[in-house]
Amino acid sequence: MNWDWQFTFEVVLPRLLPVVPVTIQATVLSFLLAVVLGLFLMLLRISRFKLIAVPAGELIELIRGTPLLVQLFFLFFLLPEVGITLPPLTTGILGIGIYNAALCAEVYRAGIQAVPAGQWEAAKALNLGAYRTWRDIIIPQSLPPIVPALGNYLIGIFKETPLLSFLAVGELMHASKLIGSEYYRFTEAVTLAGLFFLVMSLVAAVLVRMVETRVSRSILR
Amino acid sequence: MTEPRIKFENVCKRYGPLTVLDGLNMEVAAGELVTIIGPSGSGKTTVLRVLMTLETIEEGLITIDGEPFNKMRSREGGLVPASTAHLRRIRARIGMVFQNFNLFPHMTALGNCIEAPIHSLGLSKAEAVGRAEELLDMVGLSDKRDHYPSQLSGGQQQRVAIARALAMRPEILLFDEPTSALDPEMVDEVLQVIRQLATEHSYTMLLVTHQMGFAREVSGRVCFFDGGKFLEEGPPREFFASPRHERTRQFLNKVLAAH
Repeated sequence: MNWDWQFTFEVVLPRLLPVVPVTIQATVLSFLLAVVLGLFLMLLRISRFKLIAVPAGELIELIRGTPLLVQLFFLFFLLPEVGITLPPLTTGILGIGIYNAALCAEVYRAGIQAVPAGQWEAAKALNLGAYRTWRDIIIPQSLPPIVPALGNYLIGIFKETPLLSFLAVGELMHASKLIGSEYYRFTEAVTLAGLFFLVMSLVAAVLVRMVETRVSRSILR
Repeated sequence: MTEPRIKFENVCKRYGPLTVLDGLNMEVAAGELVTIIGPSGSGKTTVLRVLMTLETIEEGLITIDGEPFNKMRSREGGLVPASTAHLRRIRARIGMVFQNFNLFPHMTALGNCIEAPIHSLGLSKAEAVGRAEELLDMVGLSDKRDHYPSQLSGGQQQRVAIARALAMRPEILLFDEPTSALDPEMVDEVLQVIRQLATEHSYTMLLVTHQMGFAREVSGRVCFFDGGKFLEEGPPREFFASPRHERTRQFLNKVLAAH
């Protein structure tokens, strides 16, 4: 195995750098979708009505119980069959977003169930309405365990984006595979893609830690 | 004759096969302080919890000043299950102090006392703060207004919880073993506040406690609860001096011997 610095700087870097934003975009949008959709899934899941709660629970289990790649293929090849044709990137964001929404839903549920029953009772005894109870009492107390978990999912999603190369989304992994097959040299392109992921993961981890400390400091003193 | 402030008529509460309230009857007059005593785990607390609507009941009727509580009058005059709005209207007249305080840990003492007055009663922030400061002063904690519950002792937390309940201006106050979770040296500071409420104000109060000395001192009436109903009740002096029921005697002997 030999490493070609000239090839690295003249071919690989100039082609990988421009697709970094695609990876970041896929990560951020998938994460936002997961965070919001997860909230809805959780609300359905804890509904008082069995007819809503049970199917929602089954759906979450279904999503969590099958590989993300299978789900991506499912969306990519089956949505067009029912007349919905989306660009690959959109399909990918949808797939990763939905998969992680199911995971987020469970994180939310765990966070909310960790709030002691006495807090609900105190809110009720003080005659607070449902909205105020959630907004001022329950959600602030369930955030400290939720925030770090969401941070981990953000990093997890970021590392899942190479799966989008299977849908021919022009992200980092896809670009490095293309370079590899064009020049019959995979070493530099794949190594660099890996390095990008490592560096960005580390940066993201530091950011997540900062947010975590801020949240726990501002909520639980 | 005026309606009693609180009236339980044949109230039943079951958890599966377990009957916690078994045809309970009780009347409490406005301004009366009634103490409920009885063996641990007998369901004394449930009496307060159904009154606070933290639990639903299977049978019976609870009225506040003659107004049905768990049910409401329909347009035709019959009784139908109470709506949320009806429950909230009646709940506004009742305040509760819990065994484990249940303060909101992410709010200061003051924050705990203004949250509901602002968002439930609709007071302005300035009004709510004024009222809360008065009450914190009354329970002797004006210097702790900006402390979080974790920075307060158990006795101080319970006093904040009392101020928080009073800030809603309830007519009825429920105390659910308010000193049971406290270290012994903190019991008195909380009892002192309750004593003050009993003597200087006209709240109707229901107190579940194991503090027999305190019950004897402040109550207008003591009720002995066992097996899902009240076995015996009476003015404290008579009640403690000559309990009529065998179960009451056994209980009092055990509790008083432990002291």
